[in-house]
Amino acid sequence: MDGVMDGIISGLQVAFSLQGILFVLIGVFIGTFIGMLPGLGPISAIAIMIPITYGMDPALALVLMAGVYYGAVFGGSTSSILLNAPGISGTVATSFDGYPMAQQGKAGKALAIAAISSFAGGTISVVLLMVFAPVLSSVAISFGPPAYFALMLLGLTAIASLSEGSTLKALISAVIGFMVVTIGIDPQTGTARFTFGSANLLDGIDFLVIALGLFALAEVGFLIMNRKEKIMKNAKEIGSLKLTKQDAREMSGPIGRHSILGFIIGILPGAGATIASFISYITEKRISKKPEEFGKGSVKGLSAPEVSNNAATSGAFVPLLSLGIPGSGTTAVMLGALLVLGIQPGPLLMTDHPEVFWGVIVSMYIGNIFLLILNLPLIPYIARVLTIPRPMLISMVIMFSVIGVYSISFNTFDLYLLLAFGVIGFLMRMFAFPAPPFILAFILGGMMEQSFRQSMTISNGSFMIFFENKIALALIMLSLLSFAYPIYQNYRKKRSSANTEG
Amino acid sequence: MLRSVNQKISIILLLVAVFYLIFSYQLPSYPYIPVDADFIPKVLGWLLVILAIALFFAKDQDSEEQKAKRRIPKKDALVILGVFGMVFIYILLLEIIGFVMMTALFIYFSSWFLGYTKHVTNVIVSILFPVILYGIFNYLLQINLPSGILPL
Repeated sequence: MDGVMDGIISGLQVAFSLQGILFVLIGVFIGTFIGMLPGLGPISAIAIMIPITYGMDPALALVLMAGVYYGAVFGGSTSSILLNAPGISGTVATSFDGYPMAQQGKAGKALAIAAISSFAGGTISVVLLMVFAPVLSSVAISFGPPAYFALMLLGLTAIASLSEGSTLKALISAVIGFMVVTIGIDPQTGTARFTFGSANLLDGIDFLVIALGLFALAEVGFLIMNRKEKIMKNAKEIGSLKLTKQDAREMSGPIGRHSILGFIIGILPGAGATIASFISYITEKRISKKPEEFGKGSVKGLSAPEVSNNAATSGAFVPLLSLGIPGSGTTAVMLGALLVLGIQPGPLLMTDHPEVFWGVIVSMYIGNIFLLILNLPLIPYIARVLTIPRPMLISMVIMFSVIGVYSISFNTFDLYLLLAFGVIGFLMRMFAFPAPPFILAFILGGMMEQSFRQSMTISNGSFMIFFENKIALALIMLSLLSFAYPIYQNYRKKRSSANTEG
Repeated sequence: MLRSVNQKISIILLLVAVFYLIFSYQLPSYPYIPVDADFIPKVLGWLLVILAIALFFAKDQDSEEQKAKRRIPKKDALVILGVFGMVFIYILLLEIIGFVMMTALFIYFSSWFLGYTKHVTNVIVSILFPVILYGIFNYLLQINLPSGILPL
């Protein structure tokens, strides 16, 4: 346990250094801004920030990116409440009760409930993160290549089966993401794969090209279509932020329940803030004594998803920090950024780089306090970001993406690739192919191939190694089982539609 | 025959898979390596073939909301194409004309093209944005963006 104490101390040193505090403040501030803007999600927000982190201390870089992530989830609720246009998908459930409450002239109260719930969910779940991440990483430290391969396979199948919409399409998206990462020189044999003689492709495609193209640029396409949508005009008319004792009492239940539920869902690969917030909303409604109030401005209905989505963001850091395996598109992008900075997240992260591991965890407490300040007294001013004219916003997002890619490669070839992936990302959204499995497969693909080939080298070419290793076998079974969930859902849908017809 | 959207996409995916597989089978292999560089690509290629065939026969399960995304008004499609075209021109000229000039021009014309009519604000923003960014990147982050024709 000495190691843990020393680790926490080095984490405190990072988080409470002047730079640490500054970067967490910048992170949550930018996160809140981008989170509020409907159409731009946390993945785009983090991808846009990545060029700035190059050359930075890895611990501070992760502190900054993590701040952007939970800041975006925190800030996303503001536009859900004020505009009924969720800033990010994780705050869709927030609008169910937040928007009706705002329409009753209680926008200030709704924002205050959302901010306090977010703060509680964020802070309680960081305590859980502190407990669970070290435990999991001490288990994972014994994992060999077969178990690692199986774990990553589980991550991919889980995100495919749990993501919204068709599992088939999510799988196709993942396979193509994996295919794209095979472009370039094979690190193990030196064979140039799919480079078509182009020197530009020898190093493979940079993950920032994929992240910014598939997310930021693709989102721009839809922002262009919705550029004439309503924007905030009455930022000043938010009303009182005060809560009554009755409100506080009503919030306490959801805070206790959903900070734990959201955290657990956040740990699961594939499930994140979005799924957590929906499940919490539904659960809260089911156990409520007054379910008829839900959807009409219920305090509990607003508090539950807000606690949950913020708790889920901390949960998502558990597999990233302790296993080095991201469970979502957002954490996959963070992993990609860490790899560029020369940090290989994994079970050894806690012992090899305690300042990164604990620094980011400790900084989350500070970040959540900053967010509470930003989102309570300052919210009427910050909400004015919603009045930025869309045309200008779109132009700037495009420029940020282009500069981001150019500043790491100094090669216009990568910019053309960025444009191409922007088009692909737009088409994927059009035809309901989810993009997170693509980026997750792209990030995990290289590691998966490596651990697969290492396993096969150990076993001298026998596949039995995946079945003889108990952990690997269990994980492979789990990843097969993860497909049972969408099949079951399909079956239930069919049955219920058959019932209504009959 | 190809009535549903899924079937059309399926054919495109099949073509991608075949193209990818052809190149996978041309990869050189070395002796004494249990799993060579061509193994995973072959698996991925065949996996995509199987998934594409499955998609061909799958029912369209997309929700109405997802289907609504497919109906892009012609006018919007042209605007999106226009903006992407501007990005293309930007990339083409970035290293020749320079970052500050090109970015200022892009912000101004793209915002105007998308319907922003306050020209004075537009001019101010489109000059300040690249100048501030150029300063941050060149002096704070030590990343040299192309200066181009401006004597910076």
